[in-house]
Amino acid sequence: MPMQSNSPLPRANLAGWLYVSPLVLVLVPFFVAPILVVLAASVFTTDGFGGLTPGFTLSNYAEVLSSGLTLKLYLATIKFTVLTWMFTLLIGFFVAYFLVFHVRNPLLAIGLFLICTVPFWTSNIIRMISWIPLLGKEGLINDALLATGVIRQPLDVLLFSDLAVVIAYVHQLTIFMIVPIFNSMARIDKRVIEAAVDAGASRFEIMRHIVVPMSKSGIALGSIFVVSIVMGDFFVVKVMSGGGSASVVSAFYEDVGVLQYPTAAASAVLLTLVLMGVVALILRTVDIRREITR
Amino acid sequence: MSTAVVEAPETIEPAVSKAIAPSRGQRPWTFYVLAGLFTLYVLALYGPMICIYILSFQDIRGGLVFPMKGHSLHWFVDLFTQARTGDVKGSFDRSIKLALIVTVITVVVSFLAGLGFRRRFVGDNAVFTMMIGSLVAPGLVLGLGTGLLFQALGLNAAWYTSALGAQLSWTLPFGVLVMFAVMSRFNHAWEEAAYDLGASRWQTIRLVMIPVLAPGLVAVALFGFTLSYDEFARSLQTAGSLNTLPLEIWSMTLNVTSPSLYALGTVTTIVSFVVIAVGLGTIVLIQKRRGGGSAHG
Amino acid sequence: MKIERGDIELAGVCKSFDGVSNVVDGVNLKIADGAYCCFIGPSGCGKTTILRMIAGHEDPTAGEIVIGGHNVVGLPPVQRRTAMMFQSYALFPHLTVRDNIAFALRVRGMAKADRLRAADAMIEKVRLTPFADRLPAQLSGGQQQRVALARAAITEPRVLLLDEPLSALDEQLRVQMRQELRRMQRDLGITFIHVTHTQLEAIALADLVVVMDNGRIKQAGPAREVYAQPHDRYVAEFMGGQNVLSGRVEKVNGASFMLGQAAPGAIEVPLRARSSLGIGDKIDIAIRRDDVALVRPGGALPTGCSTSLPSRVLAIEYQGYFVKVMLDTVPDDEFVAYVPEKTFFADPLNVGDVVVATWPTELARPLA
Repeated sequence: MPMQSNSPLPRANLAGWLYVSPLVLVLVPFFVAPILVVLAASVFTTDGFGGLTPGFTLSNYAEVLSSGLTLKLYLATIKFTVLTWMFTLLIGFFVAYFLVFHVRNPLLAIGLFLICTVPFWTSNIIRMISWIPLLGKEGLINDALLATGVIRQPLDVLLFSDLAVVIAYVHQLTIFMIVPIFNSMARIDKRVIEAAVDAGASRFEIMRHIVVPMSKSGIALGSIFVVSIVMGDFFVVKVMSGGGSASVVSAFYEDVGVLQYPTAAASAVLLTLVLMGVVALILRTVDIRREITR
Repeated sequence: MSTAVVEAPETIEPAVSKAIAPSRGQRPWTFYVLAGLFTLYVLALYGPMICIYILSFQDIRGGLVFPMKGHSLHWFVDLFTQARTGDVKGSFDRSIKLALIVTVITVVVSFLAGLGFRRRFVGDNAVFTMMIGSLVAPGLVLGLGTGLLFQALGLNAAWYTSALGAQLSWTLPFGVLVMFAVMSRFNHAWEEAAYDLGASRWQTIRLVMIPVLAPGLVAVALFGFTLSYDEFARSLQTAGSLNTLPLEIWSMTLNVTSPSLYALGTVTTIVSFVVIAVGLGTIVLIQKRRGGGSAHG
Repeated sequence: MKIERGDIELAGVCKSFDGVSNVVDGVNLKIADGAYCCFIGPSGCGKTTILRMIAGHEDPTAGEIVIGGHNVVGLPPVQRRTAMMFQSYALFPHLTVRDNIAFALRVRGMAKADRLRAADAMIEKVRLTPFADRLPAQLSGGQQQRVALARAAITEPRVLLLDEPLSALDEQLRVQMRQELRRMQRDLGITFIHVTHTQLEAIALADLVVVMDNGRIKQAGPAREVYAQPHDRYVAEFMGGQNVLSGRVEKVNGASFMLGQAAPGAIEVPLRARSSLGIGDKIDIAIRRDDVALVRPGGALPTGCSTSLPSRVLAIEYQGYFVKVMLDTVPDDEFVAYVPEKTFFADPLNVGDVVVATWPTELARPLA
């Protein structure tokens, strides 16, 4: 039953813009303008003390692109992103799958779901440093391994290493996979699965032909969150690698620290472009807006 | 005929064990595997946090790792009295105030945007794309841009101006996305019924939409508060001379190597838990009062 | 301008959502003040859109909607003196029964004590006093419907618009609520316009039945007229209870004509108002299913019956007070006889039996 006209009338346009105008009024000065400022800074020159001289030069980009460090930083960032994405997707998918399809009591399922989501609302920094007593040289894991005789020397690789970085990421970001995948799985009509079982489909076939395709929007949404957060992060890399590793943004942070604004800005612009490209690629597979409003 | 009879038990049996989640009877083996995975996940999620809460209650001999050395509230006192741990109390106050302001703005703006996005209008996709862009853009880069912008305009960066805006660029996209999900369950007929009964647009919003959507609005508020209260990357370059709490924690992670750090973690987590409990409790209470939620959603 | 009466006139009303095709396509209709009018048709026929246009939730693309002598196009519902009862009721989930019913008075700025008093009086009228403080989710379907009715009626409308009011109820309750609607309509003395897709509901309730298809009115008239004297094949088939046969005119003699068709044997049909028939014209005729008599081969035809169509019994359905016998009388159309239970079991038929289908000649009707 058609409820409203599909062709946008002038009046509907005005009302629509009126409702979203506060949003636009925040996002223009605090998202669009800062991005433009960074873009401008990337083509300015600097006096080396934080002062920016308006002008137009591509030397900042040339510097960033010609530096061997850039490639290394991007490779490190991509490594962290891919590893984190893989682990969060695997854990997130199966946790959501367990909650939706294996927990019979719906109230219990929602309770368990909330248990998974509560840490999302607590401080990321605290959750990250909380790995120190576990992974440290005298931490619980090393103690346990020593006590059982598996190792003789405490493992250094646990804390302040790439492993620790990935652990911290997965710890923080799996929730971003669970929530959207849980939502899209919860919308799958259980009778569709029953029908597939009746038709003789195996567990694997059901997973491949029903559950995965129907959770696609949740996987896409979760991937956008995880990828954009890992690629934009500097804090976890800095703390959990103990300064041993760097990512694009952590190098950016160091640049800003020494007031190298133009090269930092050029590197940031490049990163933002890469990130937008990845997000656009994911968005091509699914219409997020329609999925959410459905 | 005889083969059919022989095969019959075989064709029935797999059907029982293959069922994904039978509503009764024996659980499939995958249940136990996935239940194990889930338990491990929850342990890994909460285990480390619980460790630092425990370690924050050590006495003055305490270190950063187990075993526990005595128990006292020493590090909590230390946290709020020692100058070397910085201005914890001040940053705590600022963070709470900022989070409250962000919450109010997030709820109002997200609600209005949610109303606007229900119908298509020219340019709606541009606004939506801008919002997603704001969500995924690297926070530190946005923060730097905002900081430089304020500098260029000759404005002083402060937690209640530049940091407020920078945080909104993060909480608003979340709020609007939550609002989308909430609105999708709002029955358009309620609005029409109000109009039919003579309510003005404002009366419809005030008397019907806001009360009906109250649980969703509380959820948006919960997002707004906690995301702001824990926000770090966007505040770093925009907070000005006075720190918010996450910035304080950040500087502590770099300088402080005593259980004070853990004590601060315990305190801020308690605040988070109180906020979460209030938020979720309010939602449950509203739903309960309505007799199990909207029967006609 | 003050609307005092609930008579409605639709003049050339059209509605298009996409600017290309009309969902409602030139509807003209007069509904008398205080009438019970049912719009009936398959989903997508435009009946709900007409209702929403009368209510003021949708503006017509063309045409006039006149209520009580005033063109109301562009006016809000309150000024039209209409009230709508929504499909599945749209009761406000956060308000009690009393507050739901008092809502219209509240937005009008009536003092709290006054509006609660008025609401309580209305609650008593719909016999919901023990439930006044409950929330909608705590009510049964029938109680929710009464709240919706009371909430709409408290505005003292001249026209009450009901969008599939009974579709959310189960069968037994539906019959009960049907009576309640009719009683309310008589008590309030206002015009009811009721949209449904159930034939039984329409003919049980309505003074005026409007059959719609594809945005157009196919037939509008009293229930008995629409059911017993369908205007064309569409109405006959939609309302049910009729066998529709088609064929060509073979012969016109005086007050009747002979219809030749695929089955052996011509059918004699009274001409009635149709005088312009020529030999060879294609025409549909209708015979009520309960007018069809089945005779064993060789048996004498009842008096007044001139047609005899040999048929085989395809299926038999017991319906209680009658038995539905499906026959292969005509090749392409369904042909069914409703045989009274006692008649049927006096000489029970079996599937596959051969019978002769006949009916009193004067009861066959030519269709447009």
